[in-house]
Amino acid sequence: MRGERTLYSILGVAVLLTGLLILYPAYHALELSFQKLDSFVSEPEWVGFANYGTVLRLPEFWAAFGRGIVFALSTITLQVVFGIAFAMLLNAQIPLKPLVRGITVLPYLLPTIIVALTFQWMLDPTNGVMSDAVGLFGMDYIPWGENGAVAMSLVIFLSVWIWTPFVTLAFLAGLQSVPDELYEAARVDGATAWQRFWHITLPQLRPVLTVVVLLRAIWMFNKFDIIWLTTRGGPLEATEHLPVLAYRKTFEMYQLGEGAAVSAISFLILSVFIFVYFYFFPLDEKGS
Amino acid sequence: MTKTNYIAGSGPSRRTVLKGVGAAAGAATGLYAPFVHAQTKTIRFLNGEPSRESVRAMQFAAAQYEKEKGITVQMDSVPAGGAFDKVQASIKGGRPYDIATLIFVGDVLLLAEEGKLAPINDIVNKYDWGPKILFPVDGDNYWYPYDYNLCWINYRKDLYDAQGLSEPTNWDGLLSNLGALKGDGANQLPHGIVHPIGSNGATNYTAFGYMWANGVQLFDDEWNIILDSPEMAPLVGEYLDFMASLSQYMPPAPAQAGWPNLVGDFQTDKISHTPGTGRLIDTMNVRMPERASNVSSFLYPSMRGDMFAVNHGYDGWVVLDTAMTDEAMKFLEWFSDEHLINFLHTSPVHYQPTRLDIYEDARWLAHPDIDTFKHIIDMQERVLSDENVVIRSIDTEGPYADARAGKVFRSYALPEMLQNKMLKNLSNEECIKAAAEKMRSAIAG
Amino acid sequence: MNQLSTGSRIALNVLALLAVAYSFFPVYWMIISSFRDDASLYGNTSLVPGPFSLDNYEILLGLTDYPTWFMNSLLVAGGTVAITLVVSVLISYSVTRLKFRGKSLIIGTMLYAYMFPPMMLAIPLYSLFVRAGIDDTRLSLMISHCTLTLPLGVWLLWGFFKQIPEDIEEAAMVDGCSRIKAFVLVVLPLALPGLTTVAIFSFLLSWTDYTFALVMIGSDYLKTLPAGLSTMIGLYELRWGELMAGSTLIALPLLIMFMFLSRYFISGLAAGAVKG
Repeated sequence: MRGERTLYSILGVAVLLTGLLILYPAYHALELSFQKLDSFVSEPEWVGFANYGTVLRLPEFWAAFGRGIVFALSTITLQVVFGIAFAMLLNAQIPLKPLVRGITVLPYLLPTIIVALTFQWMLDPTNGVMSDAVGLFGMDYIPWGENGAVAMSLVIFLSVWIWTPFVTLAFLAGLQSVPDELYEAARVDGATAWQRFWHITLPQLRPVLTVVVLLRAIWMFNKFDIIWLTTRGGPLEATEHLPVLAYRKTFEMYQLGEGAAVSAISFLILSVFIFVYFYFFPLDEKGS
Repeated sequence: MTKTNYIAGSGPSRRTVLKGVGAAAGAATGLYAPFVHAQTKTIRFLNGEPSRESVRAMQFAAAQYEKEKGITVQMDSVPAGGAFDKVQASIKGGRPYDIATLIFVGDVLLLAEEGKLAPINDIVNKYDWGPKILFPVDGDNYWYPYDYNLCWINYRKDLYDAQGLSEPTNWDGLLSNLGALKGDGANQLPHGIVHPIGSNGATNYTAFGYMWANGVQLFDDEWNIILDSPEMAPLVGEYLDFMASLSQYMPPAPAQAGWPNLVGDFQTDKISHTPGTGRLIDTMNVRMPERASNVSSFLYPSMRGDMFAVNHGYDGWVVLDTAMTDEAMKFLEWFSDEHLINFLHTSPVHYQPTRLDIYEDARWLAHPDIDTFKHIIDMQERVLSDENVVIRSIDTEGPYADARAGKVFRSYALPEMLQNKMLKNLSNEECIKAAAEKMRSAIAG
Repeated sequence: MNQLSTGSRIALNVLALLAVAYSFFPVYWMIISSFRDDASLYGNTSLVPGPFSLDNYEILLGLTDYPTWFMNSLLVAGGTVAITLVVSVLISYSVTRLKFRGKSLIIGTMLYAYMFPPMMLAIPLYSLFVRAGIDDTRLSLMISHCTLTLPLGVWLLWGFFKQIPEDIEEAAMVDGCSRIKAFVLVVLPLALPGLTTVAIFSFLLSWTDYTFALVMIGSDYLKTLPAGLSTMIGLYELRWGELMAGSTLIALPLLIMFMFLSRYFISGLAAGAVKG
């Protein structure tokens, strides 16, 4: 192949640069997990796997791990279900289609801090519009700061609100590539709408689903900002998952090594997940 | 290698990077000279008071200094909460700030213990300081505190006057005043007071004044947690019961309240009292001066009315151990003599002076707000000498300044104690025990 | 498509309306709250905008240097987009066209940087910039944003380039084009939707970042909007009206940009996600 040398040198330089900028800091963070230190400027003491041992013995760690699984599974499931529903709606004959599409994607554009602030304002117990709204159902306000289950539901809802559009758009493109003839044939055979969805739409969306679930899983498992900015892991740790735990250890408890170890372990867990996932749903079957 | 060299050693020139990062440590000493040269012109100052007026005062001082002494002072401003991260990054990156703002004494200690700070005894010893504001480490002062940042209870003086109420001196008095002002009649407001109880800084700062007044201490002289000891537990229990009875005068869901509620609800006639600082009065004075004049303040009372408390907020500056340390000291001393008062005037009621000489200083007294809010200024000054007033905060608890108190602060064990009481209705004993355990595990690490 | 019955058409319209309300209401509420005065904000809740007031904006803008921060955000986000596009195109194109083992490893490793809290990555990165003599510059902030945008860019574009048959370039090269020329004239235009998506992603990420801006930028005149406004949000005396005004000021440029680009964004995102 011609120009292969050019390509290799371009690739070499680009990979080297990115490697330096991405891997060096990541390596540095990983290194911290083998050290004991109180701040980024402390003289580090090498402690081998001690931080890992400490962290794995903490009941908080396993509780946070469990909450992370709950958070990730529910957000992914809901994002996928809502994503398919929205995509089918946006693919149907609705008025002002481009406008509706545009608006339903909007939440995805907003910075997380703004979403967190806006919802906190809307949920404000005395002045919030949502408190007025639930007043119609006899409630005073939505007790997300008082009740752990409500708090968890809130951060799940917010994550679904923000990130479903990503899934919607992916499925929308998938739906548009389903040939109309398939549906026509099914209709002639007298299939119900549900049967058409189950036997035609869903199988056609499978490849998209594979990628979307993987990407969402990586992101939702590591999702930190929406939880931190909304509940800070509370009340009474009800929404503290691994990324929040890692953050608190590093930046609030002055235990940088243990914080880094939490990050490294969740990284390891995720890597295993991705490996297993690829085993069952190989990406390359339709790739190059 | 001295400490200064150690810091500079991680900041070599760009040539070293070309040679490979690994060689940097060894090569640094040789390449150090040009770096120092480049730095000698400028003092880098990390300001943690980013409000526009304060930044202007800082920049004005910097410009004056350059005019007078020919030395540039670069003022960088960040929110105080981000200052410690930024200082760490600057040290780690090899370009430490020469002067920086810190808001936790634990952070000061941490940097001092790592040898990153320069003692400023000569400057500190020039002045006469108020109580509980210098936090020396092994006899050395690393810390130039510029304000007390105390938290007390602000209330609506106009409503008190209209109803003939007087400032409460104990918990029952406060409860009865709150009751008198709550309602939809004349001179009444829908709610009494907001006290956040969520796991956040607002709770740590505003909720525990009553507990300090009631005589509670977190540590004994050996840094053992004594919250659940036979002496303290009953006092803490009284405090928890009081907070529970306060909740009938709070707007719903204190666990969801934060700064916007403390300030907004008070300014818009939702509540008659709010915990806070002089900042509330200063900002009201800018936005709605006629309402600001209706605000007055009292201290956190105790149950029996024998003691009072304010919660400590304190902010201060440190000088870092850098190539510019000597120049930075000179600047700090000059600033502290010539410009500190200007700076304090950018939020006159909020920036309560730490140096006793300032209370007498004609320049400080000349600001009109000091006179307008004389009743509050007098209270601030009285707090410093009154034997019946304690100045306390979670992060300054203990026999001497130490990082352990900061860890307790950031473990949010005490806000969780309130949540267990007010949300889960656990018994006082259970609440206190859980908090003490959490504090113990926080300082164990 | 078949004609739908009147019943289903009404049902669809209702569903579409619900979807719009669900997605748009919080944005709507943020904006109208920001234009209300204290009395109406903390008083009776009305879903209709007004009474109109600029109080919150006056207070907020009186405290901030919005125009400078806005320009910085624009420059940094623009630079981030440019660097991300060039570098991720180079890497992803080379990876798809070369045959060697461990390709997916390169792509995979890049995603690893997401695993650690950003502050943990920001500090070592900052020390690299000091060594290179570019600390406290817009460039250093652009580069730090690229550490987050590049992995995503490479990942998305990889999917695009994979779909473009090599024959197309081979044909162009037979016609006398160099590899680079063939790439620029033939391949790039085909990948345009992907490039748009990557550009918008990078822009969003850079526009909204706070952590890196805090660490990398010291000087006030170099601050970006989130870093600048956070100094205000960090002040405790801000009330809901001012917070909503600040949020609107950060979000508004994104909303305006989106109005003009939504078509590309949607098609590009969809294509990228499907084919990645």
